[in-house]
Amino acid sequence: MARNPDKLDLLRGTLDLLILRTVGAGPAHGHQIAKYIQRSSDEVLQVEHGSLYPALHRLERKGWLSAKWESLDGKREFKYYRLTTAGRKQLAAEESKWKRLVNAIARVTAAAEG
Amino acid sequence: MSIRSRLHRWQSASREEKERDLDREIQSHLDLEAEESGARAARRAFGNITLVKEDVRATWGGNRLEQALRDVGYGLRQIRRHPGVSGIAMATLALGIGVNAAMYSAVDAVLLRPLPYADADRLVMVWDDARRTDSAKFFTTPPEWSQWRRLNTVFTDIAATQPGDAVLSGDGDPEELPARKVTANFWTVLGVQPLAGRVFTDEEDSGGVKVVVISYGLWQRRFAGSPQIVGRTISLNDQPFEVIGVMPRGFYFMPSRDIDVWMPTSFSSGMLRNWGWHDVQCVARLKPGVTLQQANEQMAALNLRVSGEHVKPARSAVVTALRGELAGKAQTSLIVLLCGSLAVLLIACVNLANLLLSRGAVRRREVAVRVALGASRGRLIQQFLTESLVLAALGAAAGLAVARPVMRFLETLVPETMAGVHLSLDWRVLAFSGGIAIISGLFFGVAPAVDGSRVALLNGLRDGGRGTAGARSYRFQHSLIVAETALAVVLLTSGGLLLQTFRHLQQLDLGIRREKLLTFVTPLFRYPDFEKRVAFVNAELDKVRALPGVVSVAAISRIPLTVTDQATFYKLEGQSNDDAREQVARTRVVTRGYFETVGARLREGRSFGVSDRRSDHPVAIVNESFANRHFPGRSPIGARFQFGRWGDSAYWYTIVGVVKEIRDGGVAADLRPTVYRVHEQADQTGDKPSGIVVRTSVDPKSIVPVVRSAIWSVDRNQPIARVQTIEDIVDRQLSGATQSTTLLGAFALLALLLASIGLYGVLSNAVVQRTNEIGVRMALGATRKQILLVFGTRGLLLTLVGLAMGIVVAAGAARLMSTLFYGRQPSYVPTIIMVSMILLAVAALACFVPARRASLIDPMLALQQE
Repeated sequence: MARNPDKLDLLRGTLDLLILRTVGAGPAHGHQIAKYIQRSSDEVLQVEHGSLYPALHRLERKGWLSAKWESLDGKREFKYYRLTTAGRKQLAAEESKWKRLVNAIARVTAAAEG
Repeated sequence: MSIRSRLHRWQSASREEKERDLDREIQSHLDLEAEESGARAARRAFGNITLVKEDVRATWGGNRLEQALRDVGYGLRQIRRHPGVSGIAMATLALGIGVNAAMYSAVDAVLLRPLPYADADRLVMVWDDARRTDSAKFFTTPPEWSQWRRLNTVFTDIAATQPGDAVLSGDGDPEELPARKVTANFWTVLGVQPLAGRVFTDEEDSGGVKVVVISYGLWQRRFAGSPQIVGRTISLNDQPFEVIGVMPRGFYFMPSRDIDVWMPTSFSSGMLRNWGWHDVQCVARLKPGVTLQQANEQMAALNLRVSGEHVKPARSAVVTALRGELAGKAQTSLIVLLCGSLAVLLIACVNLANLLLSRGAVRRREVAVRVALGASRGRLIQQFLTESLVLAALGAAAGLAVARPVMRFLETLVPETMAGVHLSLDWRVLAFSGGIAIISGLFFGVAPAVDGSRVALLNGLRDGGRGTAGARSYRFQHSLIVAETALAVVLLTSGGLLLQTFRHLQQLDLGIRREKLLTFVTPLFRYPDFEKRVAFVNAELDKVRALPGVVSVAAISRIPLTVTDQATFYKLEGQSNDDAREQVARTRVVTRGYFETVGARLREGRSFGVSDRRSDHPVAIVNESFANRHFPGRSPIGARFQFGRWGDSAYWYTIVGVVKEIRDGGVAADLRPTVYRVHEQADQTGDKPSGIVVRTSVDPKSIVPVVRSAIWSVDRNQPIARVQTIEDIVDRQLSGATQSTTLLGAFALLALLLASIGLYGVLSNAVVQRTNEIGVRMALGATRKQILLVFGTRGLLLTLVGLAMGIVVAAGAARLMSTLFYGRQPSYVPTIIMVSMILLAVAALACFVPARRASLIDPMLALQQE
């Protein structure tokens, strides 16, 4: 497992947030989610595709996501994940937690510099 | 569709469906990625598919049951993968749990199972107080029962029972049935109902009506379970009795479990005034709220008051709990054996713990991989424990097969009171087995589980995966060895003490010569008239004496070694009433020549002779206990005493001889003062010389037919029962002690074996683990002998510490077991010395082999090994 030191490792909690955020924008299947995270972060966040799936299943089990096999083009089927009502609430909670964390770090680093 | 129901559907979907779904999902992902960047890149980007699937499965695994079942599957796989070790473990467990199940079934049957009476804990027995004779309680008399019933305030009711005679004749051979006479309220005091028919009423009891209630066993055995049994007339003692009821299966009462016939006591008015007729046992039910203590006090005071008006001295009374009466001495021996078997199981579990701890070292790599996959410590421990429990469960199942022969063996151990107990694997025993299996599994599984999961977190993945188990683990293993050695010492010591007692019993002087002594009983109910009875007995003895092969023959009221009853109060000439209070002696009626026939020896004086005819001034022979009690250091010859009923009509008996102790009550029973009367002079007692003893010159069993004919030539219809030799009686009485000594001995040896195996295992393991270190030492100049000594002395040191602890605990155990030693204190120190020597010898052997292996290690190889 070669690791590029420039790419940041993602903690499990943050992965949850990213997934919820991605799916919150619209139903998506695993591959799409992985690509979306990669592209949106300008390739900074490298998610090992495999590690998405345990997270997805875990979130589904918790009741924040719901999954269904669907086919958009009538030919191939993919397992699409959607945000549930509880999931939406969880996303809001996670986002506000994240914002508070980010602000706190910003304050500390600003204070250190200033 | 709501989220909840969707989740539900997902969760209840079967495992295979989920797996297929996951495969499909991952495959579709890989296909998509492959379209973009090629199959190989897709795989690389994805990561390790197997690990991912494992992790996904872990998210499903919120279901506890599935998890547990999966662990069970792992456990079974482990067992299959290591058949050798698992086989040993299961065999050990099977043995340990099986024996314990058997022991528990005996303890349960004798001590714990509910008695077949209503609210049995409120039932008590009431006795006369006879503390002077060391046996605090004694049979009481009909008038006392009658007064107690009328005047007590602590019982709801009190019933009386007496020995009964019932020789069943009619179709088939006359059969002497164990019988008991009971008062009509016996059934209501116990709170039992008959299976069929009814029990007798007060009117029938006082009216002397000839009715009987029979046992289930008799109904099946003799009457083939016929439904017409109620109302049928049977011939008992040559008289017609109507069967009015049948008791349920499993019903029993004192004195033995095999009573077949219950008859009314039908006390005559004379009997109700006979304050000297001591063969009554009373059972009573305590009133609600009354304690045993209160009952004791009240009854003692009552009896003193009541008996004081009729006899001098007055008698006190004693109340005891029924359950204790029923279990008797078997209580202690069963508990001791159960503790012994639990100790063996404990030792076995300790060994298993050590075994699994050692094997844990081998599994570190596997454990490390699991941890890397995200298994938490708790999950690991849970999984290891499940594996141990699976092992324990399999061992327990096998153990039940082991239990059966042991239970058959134990059935001979229970006391005669409970003869006919059938031990079975009922739900209580199974529950107990299940319980100890689980506890054992947890016990031997927890240390390896905790240890195995801890080390992994630190350095399991390092190459070689041995890790430094650390001094901590070693110390734990060593303390386990010390503990099991101590246990083994306790068992060995207890076994040794019991063995001494047993040998002592076997070699005991019974006071008679046991070889070639035939005994049987000729019930004399057909001869109520005294003179006719004397004539008959003399006639039958004359006939038997004339037979070839017979050396001598005599009669006695109770076959020696068999019974403790037939005793009564007496008073010596010159004793005040207060002195004679609570003073009883055993009484026996014998014929002339009895002592010579059984081979008893006289200490002084003479035996009964032709000159001792019916008279107002009869003679008596006493035993040494009697003589020593009243005439220590002197001769009692010529002294006089009176029996039972005092007053002018009681004969004064003159002592003419002192006989050396005969163990009338049994091999293990205490020696009691005993008085012998000759039957021509026994008109003031109801005791009849119905027991016959025959000294033969040939094999006793061989002359039984001619003896029968001889007796029948005098009286065609005389029943003859209970034919057995004295040696048979002794063997039967010793069988209980034989079995318990054998069992405890077996446990002790097993414990020793297991403890030494454990020691061997731990030392071997230490040698393997420290091979590297040994190599280094040798390279630095240590000689083979030094290495040998290091390991050898470590092992012996552990043994010595265990031995010391064991000796201390064994001393305490011996004190708790003291009732099993039949009054004689076995010599403790020689037993300890013997046990120590055996233990050290075995331990030395167990240490020597691994120590030698250590010393033979090639330092070059050892250093190469990592």
